[in-house]
Amino acid sequence: MSFRTFPPRMAIALGIVLILVATNVLAAPATYQLYVDGLSCPFCAYGIEKKLGAVNGVQGVETNIKDGTVIFIMKDGVTLDEAAAKQAVKEAGFSLRKFEQVRSASPGTPEGRAK
Amino acid sequence: MRLQTAFKLGRNIFFVLAILIAVGWLVFVPSAKEPPYTFVTAWGEKGNAPGQFNDPTGIAIANDEVFVSDSRNGRIQVFDLDGHFKRQFGAPGKGEGQLGRPMNLTIHKDELYVAEYFNDRIQVFSLDGQSRHLIGKSGSGPGEFNAPGGVTVAPNGDLLVPDFYNHRVQRLKADGTFVRQWGVTGEKGHTAGVFIYPTDVALDRNGMLYVSDSYANRIQVFDIAGKPVNKWGGPFAIGIPGPFSGWFRVVTGIAVGTQGDIFAADFYNHRVQKFRGDGTFLTSFGGKGSGPGQFDHVIAIAVAGDGTIFAVDFANDRIEKWRPTRS
Repeated sequence: MSFRTFPPRMAIALGIVLILVATNVLAAPATYQLYVDGLSCPFCAYGIEKKLGAVNGVQGVETNIKDGTVIFIMKDGVTLDEAAAKQAVKEAGFSLRKFEQVRSASPGTPEGRAK
Repeated sequence: MRLQTAFKLGRNIFFVLAILIAVGWLVFVPSAKEPPYTFVTAWGEKGNAPGQFNDPTGIAIANDEVFVSDSRNGRIQVFDLDGHFKRQFGAPGKGEGQLGRPMNLTIHKDELYVAEYFNDRIQVFSLDGQSRHLIGKSGSGPGEFNAPGGVTVAPNGDLLVPDFYNHRVQRLKADGTFVRQWGVTGEKGHTAGVFIYPTDVALDRNGMLYVSDSYANRIQVFDIAGKPVNKWGGPFAIGIPGPFSGWFRVVTGIAVGTQGDIFAADFYNHRVQKFRGDGTFLTSFGGKGSGPGQFDHVIAIAVAGDGTIFAVDFANDRIEKWRPTRS
């Protein structure tokens, strides 16, 4: 019985791919989930998307009307200040029930702070 | 002896409360004067292909065509009266011909008026989808908008626009020049002539203006001179929400019927309510669910020339068609 050895060039290529994948994962933008009461009306949800979309450093906002949640995706290296999120939700006519970070910003990058 | 007194007191309180509830019910919960409408058909499902919707929010009818705001898809879809897809126009964005969360619609003289919630403007299209005018910009000054929820057009071409976050309704010339406003900019209120997040407006053939004063849970009416003349929705129309006939839990859409009757999309009660122009409750139809004839948050309504009702079933991503029931 004989085993085929892994060719060195293939091992290097695999290593590069793994590094790239890892880098990509680590470089994922910071993401937050906000819980807001009374979000089942589109006038409310769109208002929150509009106000929060205008917050500096926000790349995208996704509302889930049925769950009453808002997902914030930040630009690379930028984090979201809870007070800024709270203010935007307040301007949209609601109050923030819960704020949680579901994915951290990439380490090693100079972290901005959205205000 | 003390027990007997307490019993008598309790009994009297019970009777007084029962009488108050009975009187309140008689005064504030009207009975239906017409049968409910009959469900005909529904079309649509979640998605972004032709005939599918991702948050339908507005509707209008002209020339046997149904125009629907497909809000999150940033487009207008056009169907025949049986729900067969005909065409679509618009794409998400801020440019001319693009749409930023289109909401309630109206059609006037073969032009489609679209309230754009994200872009703070009214965009006017030809019925084949060519963008013709952009009216308004972001702000709280005269002629500016902070999330317009709908629009209607007066016979002379003036626009009436519910300005959601500014808590007001503006009247503008066709070119966007400010004429007047109702409500106090940025201030909510429960008294006559002020609003809490208004979302839609409609004019009847006599020039009476009906406003869905959404989060005040009522409809307000203004005469041709702009004077507040009537309001209804719950006890004294002061904003008390409820599930009873003639009450609302956020009234998001309003339409005038062929006989001058008023149809209201009662969003959180999942039903359409019908009133006479003076606010007398006539009937309601719908109910929560996803089956035929049910709604999951009805948000807007349009009335065809023969009295057929088309209602936007927001969370079910579909349009429902109803016809009057012959009694």
